[in-house]
Amino acid sequence: MTTTHDDNSELSAESMNEYVSVRIGDQLFGAPVDAIREVFAPQSVTSVPLAPNEVAGLLNLRGRIVTAIDARRRLGLPPREADDAGMALGVERGSEIFGLIVDSVGEVLRRPRAELEPVPAHVDPTWRSMVKGVHRLDKELLAVLDVSAVIGTAGAKAEAA
Amino acid sequence: MSEFLTETAESLDVIDSELVRFENNPEDRAILDNIFRLLHTIKGTCGFLGLPRLEAVAHAGETLLGKFRDGELSVSPPMVTLVLQAIDQIKVVLEALENTGVEPAGDDSELIGRLEDASMGRLPEQADENVPQQPENWDSDLGRELRPGEVSLADLEAAFNGTDPEVETGAEPVAEPVQHIGVGEFDPALGRELRPGEVSAAELEAAFADAEPDPTVAPPTTELITKDMSQAEALATAMAELKGGDDAVAGDDAVAGEGGVKVQQTVRVGVDVLEALMTTVSELVLTRNQLMQTIRGLEDEELKGPLQRLSAVTGELQDGVMKTRMQPIGDAWRKLPRIIRDVSTDLGKKIELVMEGNETELDRQVLELIKDPLTHMVRNSADHGLEMPADRVKAGKAEKGTIKLSAYHEGGHIIIAISDDGMGLNTARIGEKALEKGLTTHEELERMPEQQIHRFIFAPGFSTAEKVTNLSGRGVGMDVVRTNIEQIGGVIDVTSTAGKGSHFSIKIPLTLAIVSALIVGCDEQRFAIPQLAVRELVRVGAGSEHTVENLNGARVMRLRDRLMPLVDLHDVLGVGEAYNGQEDETGFVVVLDAGGRNVGLVVDNVLDTEEIVVKPLSDSLRGVHAYSGATILGDGSVIMILDPNGLAGEIVTALDEEASMEASAAKAAEATNTQRLLLVRAGGSEPKAVPLALVTRLEEFNPDTIESTNGRLVVQYRGRLMPIVPIGSEIRTVEGQRQPVLVFAENHTSIGLAVDEIVDVVEERVDMQMSSDKQGIIGSAIIKGKATDVVDIAWYLDQSRAGNIQRRTSNRRRRILLVDADAFARRMIAPLLAAAGYDVTPTGGMHEVHAIAEAGEQFDAVVGDPTALSRIRQEGLWSTLPTLAVTDWPEDTQSEGLTAVLPRSDRGALIAALDSVSQEEKVA
Repeated sequence: MTTTHDDNSELSAESMNEYVSVRIGDQLFGAPVDAIREVFAPQSVTSVPLAPNEVAGLLNLRGRIVTAIDARRRLGLPPREADDAGMALGVERGSEIFGLIVDSVGEVLRRPRAELEPVPAHVDPTWRSMVKGVHRLDKELLAVLDVSAVIGTAGAKAEAA
Repeated sequence: MSEFLTETAESLDVIDSELVRFENNPEDRAILDNIFRLLHTIKGTCGFLGLPRLEAVAHAGETLLGKFRDGELSVSPPMVTLVLQAIDQIKVVLEALENTGVEPAGDDSELIGRLEDASMGRLPEQADENVPQQPENWDSDLGRELRPGEVSLADLEAAFNGTDPEVETGAEPVAEPVQHIGVGEFDPALGRELRPGEVSAAELEAAFADAEPDPTVAPPTTELITKDMSQAEALATAMAELKGGDDAVAGDDAVAGEGGVKVQQTVRVGVDVLEALMTTVSELVLTRNQLMQTIRGLEDEELKGPLQRLSAVTGELQDGVMKTRMQPIGDAWRKLPRIIRDVSTDLGKKIELVMEGNETELDRQVLELIKDPLTHMVRNSADHGLEMPADRVKAGKAEKGTIKLSAYHEGGHIIIAISDDGMGLNTARIGEKALEKGLTTHEELERMPEQQIHRFIFAPGFSTAEKVTNLSGRGVGMDVVRTNIEQIGGVIDVTSTAGKGSHFSIKIPLTLAIVSALIVGCDEQRFAIPQLAVRELVRVGAGSEHTVENLNGARVMRLRDRLMPLVDLHDVLGVGEAYNGQEDETGFVVVLDAGGRNVGLVVDNVLDTEEIVVKPLSDSLRGVHAYSGATILGDGSVIMILDPNGLAGEIVTALDEEASMEASAAKAAEATNTQRLLLVRAGGSEPKAVPLALVTRLEEFNPDTIESTNGRLVVQYRGRLMPIVPIGSEIRTVEGQRQPVLVFAENHTSIGLAVDEIVDVVEERVDMQMSSDKQGIIGSAIIKGKATDVVDIAWYLDQSRAGNIQRRTSNRRRRILLVDADAFARRMIAPLLAAAGYDVTPTGGMHEVHAIAEAGEQFDAVVGDPTALSRIRQEGLWSTLPTLAVTDWPEDTQSEGLTAVLPRSDRGALIAALDSVSQEEKVA
C-alpha cells in the first residue's frame, strides 16, 4: 500500500492513523489500512438467490471464494448503476475472505489519531453502528468505517470460529 | 528391521482388539485362529531376526493360546488379561528395540513363568509369590537397570492385575499412589533416610505378597498408603526429575549405539501439506476440465492424444491424493473394544460392542475430529444408557447389553449411528432439568413432542447424570459432542424409547472433497447438483413423451406409472419464470434422491457434468438450506451447489406457498396444526372434509320436510326457515332415509348444508397441499393418507344468501388485514370474512406485513394470531386500528392492547366483533 505525503510528516507514525479512502454514495469514508488485505476490482459476481440482502454474491479471487458484501445495502443507500461494478476491499476474517463493495477507492490518507472525533449523536443509528469516528478534512468529512461491523455478524462469527 | 517393527506394531494392535472380541466369543474359532496366527508370525520373525527375548514371550503366549485352541483350557477374563500383559510386554520390548536398534537386556522369566503356569491350568494369581523372589533387572519405565531394592512398575502392576479379579476393582485405586512410591521412594538420589510414616520397599513388597485374593484384606493396604499421600506427592516430583535425567541418558545411549533403527515405512506429513497438495490438484483438475472443454469443439488429432494422457494422469493423481486423505472409520473405532472392556469391568456391566461398516472411508481430517466425540458417546451409552445386569434381567432383557456402532455413506454424507438397547433417555428428568436451566417453560414443555425434549441433552451445560462417575457425566457431555460435530458441518440427532434404548445418528458431510456434479441452468444462472443425489434426467416439453401436469395447482410428472412431485427451481429460489408447460417450451427434470424420496427438480437446461471442489459456505449463507456449498468452475466462475435434502425442505415451503418465516409464529402454528375434521360424502364418491370447528350441529331431516320455495330449498328448523344448500350438485334423497345436514349458525340465522353421508370425524395435522380454483373447495389436503378436498364453507354460506337479504348496504367494503402464521387457519378465516362482506388481505408473516405497510395500504381492522398482533403493535404499524386476536387458547392470551380476543372456533363471534368495532351501519 503506497502512502501519500501529507503536511503532518513531522509526527511520528504511532500517533497517525492510516486510511484507505473510499466513496460510498456521496460520503467519503476511511477504512483503516491494517483492516484491509487488498483492493481489487470485483469481476463476475455470482448472485446468490435467497441470500441475506447485504450479500451481493460470491466471486473468485485467485482460486478463493470471496463473499461480496455491498456497503451501499449495509448503509441503506440506493443501489449503484447496473453497469457500475464498483471496487472491493478484501477483508480477511478467520478463514474467510469478504469483499466489501464500495463505489470507488481513492488514496491512502494519514490523519493524527488525536483528531478523530466521535460520531455525532443524531446520526442515523445504522450508520453509527458502522462508523467509529469522524476526521475533519479541509473540504469534507471523513467517516471512519468499522470494517468488522460493516462485514456484519457473518464476519464476527467467522472470526470466532 | 523397520518393516518388522511396523508390521508387528500393527499386528499387536489387532491382537489387542481381537483378544477382547475373543473373550466375549470364546467359541469363535476364527478369531482365536487369527490371534494365534498373528502371534505365531511374530514369534517366527523374532526367531529369524535373532530376538530371543521377544521370541520367548511370544512363544509362551502362543502356548497358552494353543491350549485354548485345543480346548484344553477354557477362556476366562484373568487368562485374557494375562495374554494382554504378554502383548504389552512385547510392545515395551519393541519400543526399546525401535529406539536403540538392539533388543534390550532383560528377563521375562516371571511373566513367562506365569504364562506357562497358566498353560498348565494353574490360575494366574498363583504366580504372585514369584514377584518378590524374581525381580526384574530392567525397568522399561525408568529406562535403566533397577538398583537394589527397586521394584519395576510393570511388576507392581502385574502383581495387582494378577490378583483375583474380584479384588481387582477394589485394589485399583491403590495402584496409582503405589507406583509413585515404588519408584521414587527408594531412589538413592534422595540421599536420605525414610521419613517417619514413609514406607520401605520391604514393607511394600510384603504388603503385596500378603494381598491375598480376599477383599477384606485390601482396605488396610489402602489405609497404609493413603497416609503417605502428601509425601508421596513430593516424592513424585523428585521422581519426575530423576526420570527426566534418565531419559536424557537413554537418548545419548541411542545415539552412541548402532545408530538406531527408525520405522521408515510410513511418513508423517502435516495436514497442511496435504491440504496444499489437495488444493493444487484441485486446480489442476479444474484446468484439465477447462482444456477438455476447449478442445471438445476442435478436431485436432495432434492435441487429442497428449490431452487424453494428461487427463488420465490427472485423474490418477487426483485419486492418489484423495486416498491420502481417506481413512476407514474403523481406525477411529479401533480403541473402543478395549475401552468398553475396561468400562464393563469397572462398572460390573456386561456389554457387547457391535461394529458395522468399519471400512467406510472418510476424510482424515474429519475422522480426527469425530474420534473423540464418538468415544465419548460410546462411553456415555455404556455408562448411562445400559442398565446393570440385574436391572436388565428384571426388565426382561438379556443380561448383556448391546452397543451398536454403524457407519455408511449416503448421498455425499457419512451417517454414523450409535445405538444401545438400554433404558433410553429419561424424558421426565430431562424436562425437569430443562426447566431448571431455564431452557423452556412449563407450557412449552407440555406441548412438546418427546423427541424435542430429548434434544435438550445437546443444550450447553446439560447433564442428567445423577452421580458423577469417573467415566462421563461431568456436565460437559453431549453439548460438547454437538459443538464438535457442528464445527465440521455435521448434524446430530437422537431418538429414544423408554426401556428400549437410545439411537444417536450423526450426519457428516464430505467437505473439501472433489465430487462429480451436474451443472444445470436456471434463469441465466448455473447451479451444481452432486451426481450422487441425481437418479436420472428427464426431458420434458416439445418432442418428449413426458409432460409436466398440474394436479390442482401442484406439479407432477408421470414416471414409469408413478406420479412424482415436481418442484421448480425458479420457485424455490424465487428467480425468473417457472416452467409453464407451453408446447414450444422445453425443460429438464432432474430426478433427485431427497431423503430417500424421488423428487423432480424442474430446471431450464442441463449444461454439463464437471468435477468440482466443494468449498464450504460462508457463514452468512449457511442459513440458506438450499445450498450445501459453492465451487469454482473450470472457467473461473463461482456457482452454488444445491443441497438435495435442503431443497426437499424448501419444497415443502414452496408448496405451502405462504409458509411463515417468522420463527415465533411458526412455533405457535406447530401446536395448532391438528384440526378436527368431519369427513362427508357429497357430490361424488371421494370424501370431502369440513373443519368441525365451524359446524354448529349435525342434523338429520326427513326428506319430506324439505320444501322448495321460490326455487330454493328450505326446511323448518326451530321455528324458522332454514335454507338448505347441497354440497355437490344436488340433493340426492333416498326414499325412507333421512337426509344428513350440517347446520351452521350465524347471527341468529342458520344455514344447512346437505350431504350424502357423514363418514367420519378425524383429528389430523392438515397441510394444505394445493389450492383450488373450483368453487366451493378451498383446496386439497392429505387426510388419512388420501388426497381430500376441503370444503369452502364460506362460499356455500354466500350461496345461501344470494338473492336473500343483502347483508350490507355500505358502498365501501371494509378492509381487513389478516395475519396468521398458520396457512390453514388463514385459508379458513379469510373466506369467512370475505363472505361476511369484508375485503381481506391475508398475510403469513411479518415480512409480508412490512411489505404491505411500506406500500402504504390502509385497513379498517387487523385480525390475526396474538403473536403477530403484538409484533405489529410493537412496531407501531396501524396503531389506531382495532386489533382482534383469534386463537385456540383465548384464556391463555394476554389481551392487553388488543381490542378483543376470540376463540378460533367461533366464527360468529369474530364477525359480530368485527361488525361492532367498525363504524359502519349494520344491517340485520
